[in-house]
Amino acid sequence: MTLAEASAIAEDAISIRTPSAVAAHALAARLRATGVFDEVTPGLDSVGVLFDPLRLDAGAARRLLADAAQAIETADWPDNEVIELRARYGGDDGPDLDRLAAAANLSPDAFIELHTKRIHRVEMIGFMPGFAYLSGLDPALEAPRLKTPRPRLPAGSIGVSGAFTGLYAIASPGGWPIIGRIDETLFDPDADNPFRLAPGDRVRFLRAPC
Amino acid sequence: MLTIVSAGLQSTLQGAPRRGARHQGLPWAGPADPLSLALANRLVGLPAAALGVEITLGGFEARFDVDAIFALAGAPCAATLDGSPVRLHRSHRAAAGATLVLPPPETGMRTYLAVEGGMIAAAAFGSASTYLPARIGGLHGRSLQPGDVLKFRARAALLPALESQAALETPAALRLAPQKAAALRATPSAETSRLAPSSREALFASDFRVSRQVDRTGVRLDGVTLELRSDGRMKSAAAFPGLVQCPEDGAPIILGADAQTTGGYPRIASIARCDRHLIGQLRPGATVRLLSRTFEDATAELVEKSTLVRGWIPDFTF
Repeated sequence: MTLAEASAIAEDAISIRTPSAVAAHALAARLRATGVFDEVTPGLDSVGVLFDPLRLDAGAARRLLADAAQAIETADWPDNEVIELRARYGGDDGPDLDRLAAAANLSPDAFIELHTKRIHRVEMIGFMPGFAYLSGLDPALEAPRLKTPRPRLPAGSIGVSGAFTGLYAIASPGGWPIIGRIDETLFDPDADNPFRLAPGDRVRFLRAPC
Repeated sequence: MLTIVSAGLQSTLQGAPRRGARHQGLPWAGPADPLSLALANRLVGLPAAALGVEITLGGFEARFDVDAIFALAGAPCAATLDGSPVRLHRSHRAAAGATLVLPPPETGMRTYLAVEGGMIAAAAFGSASTYLPARIGGLHGRSLQPGDVLKFRARAALLPALESQAALETPAALRLAPQKAAALRATPSAETSRLAPSSREALFASDFRVSRQVDRTGVRLDGVTLELRSDGRMKSAAAFPGLVQCPEDGAPIILGADAQTTGGYPRIASIARCDRHLIGQLRPGATVRLLSRTFEDATAELVEKSTLVRGWIPDFTF
């Protein structure tokens, strides 16, 4: 991977573009291993780093980024085992399902079938603790965000927005249309491994009876 | 121990932020105004980021169950201890049974209470700071409620020097009372060029107003509507406290201590690191002006302000 443009986010933060989320995570892992950055946050096609300018000069930070970017080989996500998540679609668990299905000229059942048929991929964890962005949405199911976010969604809510499925790991406000909900806990701060999902994981949704 | 009688709008335990886990979606939390917490902590002999109580817009009342030394800093209010005035920026002694009352502040948003020894709370992901959305840190991961009992380390474990010393006071140069018209130094950010040219000018030449949408996550500004170019959308990317995002409706949001770790709105500016502590004092109705700085200027001013603050609080980091 060659160094795409790196741009300053702030006097103490730099963003570097990457060709993909998997490249962003590979670069982020390498940057985190240097131990000089306070935060290394991968996005869907970029990595953002934060540093203390009193301890690391911005020029030196840029050179570290360039070196790390050059050392990264673009690869694809590994073929991890597929994690199956039982999902209840529609009704109170998925208040936007009927509307989205109608907009896609599909019956709710057909919409659900298209969502459960594909294997999805966790492209990143971000926004809120454990919130997962999954690629692999059937293009027929793409939908715009809500004009007005809901003030509170229950944990486990399944949203779709653009080409992504989003999983709300904790109860939070949310602007994605909601099609269903999973029961499995995605974020448990008291567990040995608090995060059920990690970037690169493959996920299939199983339709559970409502 | 300190028993909460009234917790006001929102009071939480806040100390060192939860660093290094933003890639898992974990925001920092920590004080919305870290400098004010550090100033209060300094007066009771605690490290800059020791755990204290962040009190939002007053309405707070608490009873000391033991003798204690405490201090207040941040948004100025007419605080009293058993009815007698208690000045900010000064250490005070409370006798067991004394009641501390903080009415709403005249300006600013948050006042910090530090108590000798430091508050005790369980850490989660390396920090005891309260992060309400995930219910972690602080007291059971929630904001304080009447009847809560806060534990702090016993006096004996403390600096004996405080016992004999006269009251400590914050140097005058560091008593920065929040203003109704705030001026924050700011730099461009990664997507500043996605603003329409006229909005790029307006960004650093307008008086914004702090809207009613103010919480620990961020501060939404109104009064001036910015315009994004038509290609304003972007893929989700890193977000940090201090960044200014611009959603499609053109009302910018300054990200705060609890800010989400990634976001899809263009990052149009960034509050200079040395002024980010002021974000926590922006109050609905106040005016805000962003003062344009280059990255080099912002770094030089960080060096200057750090030197000033570290003269009094050697372990403070912006």
